[in-house]
Amino acid sequence: MRALVRSNPSILWFLGLLAAFCLGVTFLAEATGTGAISTSFVKTLGKTLCLCLVAIAMDVVWGYCGILSLGHMAFFGLGGYAIGMWLMYARTEIIVSASLASAAIPPTPQEVEDAIASQIFGVVGASEFPWLWAFADSLVLQLAMVVLVPGLLALVFGWLAFRSRVTGVYLSILTQAMTLALSLYLFQNASGLRGNNGLSGLQNIPGLGGVPQSVVSIAFFWVSAVALALGYLLFAWVVSGKMGSVVRGIRDNEARVRFLGYHVEGFKLFVFTLTAIVAGLAGALYYPQAGIINPAEIAPIASIYLAVWVAIGGRGRLYGAVIGAASVSLLSSWFTGGGAPDIDLGFYEIQWTDWWLVLLGLSFVAVTLYAPKGIGGLIDLVAERRAPSRSRDLGPDASALRKTEAAE
Amino acid sequence: MTDAALAPDTRPTRKRETLLELSGVSVSFDGFRAINNLSFQIGEPELRAVIGPNGAGKTTFMDIVTGKTRPDEGRVTWGERNVSLLKMSESRIAREGIGRKFQKPTVFEAQTVEENLAMALKAPRGPFDVLLGRTGASGAERITAIATEIGLAEHLPRIAGELSHGQKQWLEIGMLLAQDPRLLLVDEPAAGMTPAEREHTTDLLKRLAERHAVVVVEHDMEFVRRLGCKVTVLHEGSVLAEGSLDHVTANPEVIDVYLGR
Repeated sequence: MRALVRSNPSILWFLGLLAAFCLGVTFLAEATGTGAISTSFVKTLGKTLCLCLVAIAMDVVWGYCGILSLGHMAFFGLGGYAIGMWLMYARTEIIVSASLASAAIPPTPQEVEDAIASQIFGVVGASEFPWLWAFADSLVLQLAMVVLVPGLLALVFGWLAFRSRVTGVYLSILTQAMTLALSLYLFQNASGLRGNNGLSGLQNIPGLGGVPQSVVSIAFFWVSAVALALGYLLFAWVVSGKMGSVVRGIRDNEARVRFLGYHVEGFKLFVFTLTAIVAGLAGALYYPQAGIINPAEIAPIASIYLAVWVAIGGRGRLYGAVIGAASVSLLSSWFTGGGAPDIDLGFYEIQWTDWWLVLLGLSFVAVTLYAPKGIGGLIDLVAERRAPSRSRDLGPDASALRKTEAAE
Repeated sequence: MTDAALAPDTRPTRKRETLLELSGVSVSFDGFRAINNLSFQIGEPELRAVIGPNGAGKTTFMDIVTGKTRPDEGRVTWGERNVSLLKMSESRIAREGIGRKFQKPTVFEAQTVEENLAMALKAPRGPFDVLLGRTGASGAERITAIATEIGLAEHLPRIAGELSHGQKQWLEIGMLLAQDPRLLLVDEPAAGMTPAEREHTTDLLKRLAERHAVVVVEHDMEFVRRLGCKVTVLHEGSVLAEGSLDHVTANPEVIDVYLGR
């Protein structure tokens, strides 16, 4: 652990800044502080932390391992659905039990279950629980699903794709197809997950009916922050040392790694599955704060946004992914939420709700052209300048000095 | 070579047995027969030079042995138990003990010299072994020994991309040593090296060949002469002549296709 921190000073910086940020938000939140930050904004910040977590997972799979997965938001969404099923079931159970309790004859368990089912599925014209919901009454089992469903999907998909040596653009297209197929399937009413209605009311945590949302929001904010910190540590560990060498080697020259005796497919599968699981966990924390999940959340565009965040933030560095996800998603909600003032040009009024995507597209192009290392690359530049000069002579070879020259 | 660089190899120098055998191997690319009914044997230990004009099939031969290219017909057998290499993946073949040095130095340029060597170091190769395993003191010692051998001990913390062409060649040879393979396939090891470095390479290959099987593909006749080993001449995908350098260079067919020009 100590060696990990020493080899990667960004960990301490990151954890310190994250802790300071969380304390600041706590002191300004409604439930625990002055109330300068509204509950809905605390939720936005908590959701942003979850997006940062899925972004570092994306950075590991793309920036470090070179697999441009355009399907990781599918795993994020599956995690959200898995926890959403329990949230919805348990809350409906409480409501139904309360209303049936006043009946003259105490309801049988079957009657309660039927009532829950018709309550949840009435909207799609069904009144029975599909097999998917077999474990929905158990928090523990649904939490297991948060890990197992994205993990198994990634394992099977990755095994099929990597085994056939599908790489590059073709793999990206396959992952897009996977997330598209999944969202189209979930759009069907018969999918068992309420079709395009999705799961809603997820912000109401069963058993915490008396607790105000301002408290729930700050609790979820902290849990998200801890998850992000742990995720950062986990991935910093994975991409350090020899594992990091092999993973980056696969990105730079897959065939060479193979000739060194490493089973490249196994490593890709490991990274793909691990990041999918973390994405699932991030989703499970995100959607209770968002309150609703529907199939549009796992549409292909969501995963493309994820890649854009990582590219703008700077791939191949974990803090880059965090910076990209946080800045772009917060700016996005500022622009699309009416926070940015519209610009009246006289002949045309720029409304940011429409023009934000154009701005995002332009900044993506600008970053790709002028700062290929992303915003995180600028931090590297500063860090390199401030680093103490190397104490040892690098040798007479002029090329040895090239790296410092480039920074100047 | 320093003793430490060869330390894990406790195999005694023993009587030569066939380690790798190719028989009747053919492969075509879009109708072009790159390898045509090739048969080849190498024992352990043995040093062998493979020469031949461009397009003779030298690189394809290496591709077949390392599993990159699957032959259309023929057998490739390996080791004491004559297992077939044809059904194995590239990584499995590498773990069986076949190491390869590419013609163009291919090191991981974004990583340090030390990381490059550590990755090549003989150790369990599974994802969880790599994640949880540690290089340890003996591994670090071995990396230092290899780095000393290849003249890069001073450069361990440097990014490999900063090295000169010759140093990259050395680093790749070092990675080959770190793998500790039984059979080394070395493609034009001396390209881009100074005369002094060439001499060092020759010595190194000769010493390696005391315990290992080494196949050197080379264009430079002077270099092959200094190796002083059996030579196999490839032409149009099959063996044209085999024997000592003087023997093959006296062969009129060899002179015709290769040396006469």
